[in-house]
Amino acid sequence: MATSPIADQIRDALGAYLKQDPTTIHPHHTLRDDLGLDSMAMIELLFRIEETFDLQIPDDDLQGLVTVSDVIEYVERKLNPAPARQAKGPAKRLPARKKG
Amino acid sequence: MDRRVVVTGLGVISPIGIGTSEFWKAALNGRSGITAIQAFDGFPMELYRSRVAGQVLDFDPTKFLESTQAERVDRYAQFALVAAKEAVADSGLRMEQEDPHRIGVIVGAGMGGMVMGEREITQLYKSQKPNRVHPNFIPQITLNSASGIVAIAHGAKGPNLTISTACSSSAHAIGQALSCIRTGQADVLIAVGTDASITPLVFAGFCSLRTLSTHFNDSPARASRPFDRARDGFVMGEGAGALILESLAHAKKRRARIYAEVAGYAATSEAYHIVIPREDGAEMAATMATALADAGITPAQVDYINAHATSTQIGDAVEVKAIRKLFQARAEKVLVNATKSLVGHTLGAAGALGAVACALAIDTGQVHPTVNYDDPDPACVLAGISARVQERRINTALLNAFGFGSNNAAVVFRKH
Repeated sequence: MATSPIADQIRDALGAYLKQDPTTIHPHHTLRDDLGLDSMAMIELLFRIEETFDLQIPDDDLQGLVTVSDVIEYVERKLNPAPARQAKGPAKRLPARKKG
Repeated sequence: MDRRVVVTGLGVISPIGIGTSEFWKAALNGRSGITAIQAFDGFPMELYRSRVAGQVLDFDPTKFLESTQAERVDRYAQFALVAAKEAVADSGLRMEQEDPHRIGVIVGAGMGGMVMGEREITQLYKSQKPNRVHPNFIPQITLNSASGIVAIAHGAKGPNLTISTACSSSAHAIGQALSCIRTGQADVLIAVGTDASITPLVFAGFCSLRTLSTHFNDSPARASRPFDRARDGFVMGEGAGALILESLAHAKKRRARIYAEVAGYAATSEAYHIVIPREDGAEMAATMATALADAGITPAQVDYINAHATSTQIGDAVEVKAIRKLFQARAEKVLVNATKSLVGHTLGAAGALGAVACALAIDTGQVHPTVNYDDPDPACVLAGISARVQERRINTALLNAFGFGSNNAAVVFRKH
């Protein structure tokens, strides 16, 4: 999974954002502790990812994005939704999630 | 010479009322001023994550200002003019009987003249006709346009300053007005906080920053909910607050009505992060402690805190942590409320509107409700927060204001 084109694009985006060689970024890395992103940096990174993949990531989904692989899986899910789900519009998937 | 400073006049433009008495009546009734944004010039509203704001919907500048004066200035400066006019009238100050060089103006504004600013920039880039940029663009977009126009309107020839520290701007305007009078630079200061930037670009910017509430687009009145478990970001507001500060000696000489004394002030920087507060609350606590020390009082003497409390997850919890840290056992006794629960976050006006709430709490013994405080977040529980009006003699009130740019302010008000 970590070698899919989406994964590569996300690692490239992360590498460009962090000014770091993308090959040193691994799926198990946590965005906050391993890569040192604070909440503002997370928002900037997601802005870049939204633009790269033409997505809208709702605020509620942010808390599920802890590791690099979380981001990769999230984007893959958004771009290729399971057939049972409706692929329409940005992010109605987690409407009732408790806001922590 | 006695350099104590008192508040002798108030003025308000807010989403819950134009004029201090209308604002206060609505505040005590817990009426929310948050409404849906109907449209931004045909922009697709669904692309805005948040679609609610504390809008001043019924503001007609020509009701208060001459039409040329109204046309020449941006909305935020119109707000400042009208609020200042009310405050001056309320204070009973007769400008023709005063030495104009002893009267100053300090305005706090976070964003400034964005209505015209956005329009002109957009038009220029669309039309590519630089010769069609409006001649009034520069005078309006200049960040001190409001303080300038307020001084011109009242003939105030003393210090004329603008403070822009984002959300703490007008708490600093009041604090610096206090300093001005204490140091003898002026006898009277018209201290104003104002902002009116619910505009397509600024609002989009706050959406992109993911600081705004997005869960209550269909129930706007519930969107601003400081300290509540379901809070999910602040609600942008607009408005203005104005206070007349003057030396006690000057106020006494002209037998002015005194709402409260401005007793202390602190200005600090967290020197930490451009938009995130230090999560242990240490810097906020230090700011409050410095203001109380300046007023010569201890935390145990504080009866009421008008909290910064914008309704963000982190900000509210950190502020409560800071209050607990500084006030210890007193934290469970002091009354606390959030004016932003009613009007949203009015940015540069926030400190001034909070200051009006402090002055009126001292004057009337009523602390307005924190609306939507339905399900207290365990991280924000304090016995003194209530969704109802609380009545108690308020001898001392503390106003908190924390701004982007790691900027903190606190002001202490005391019964005179």
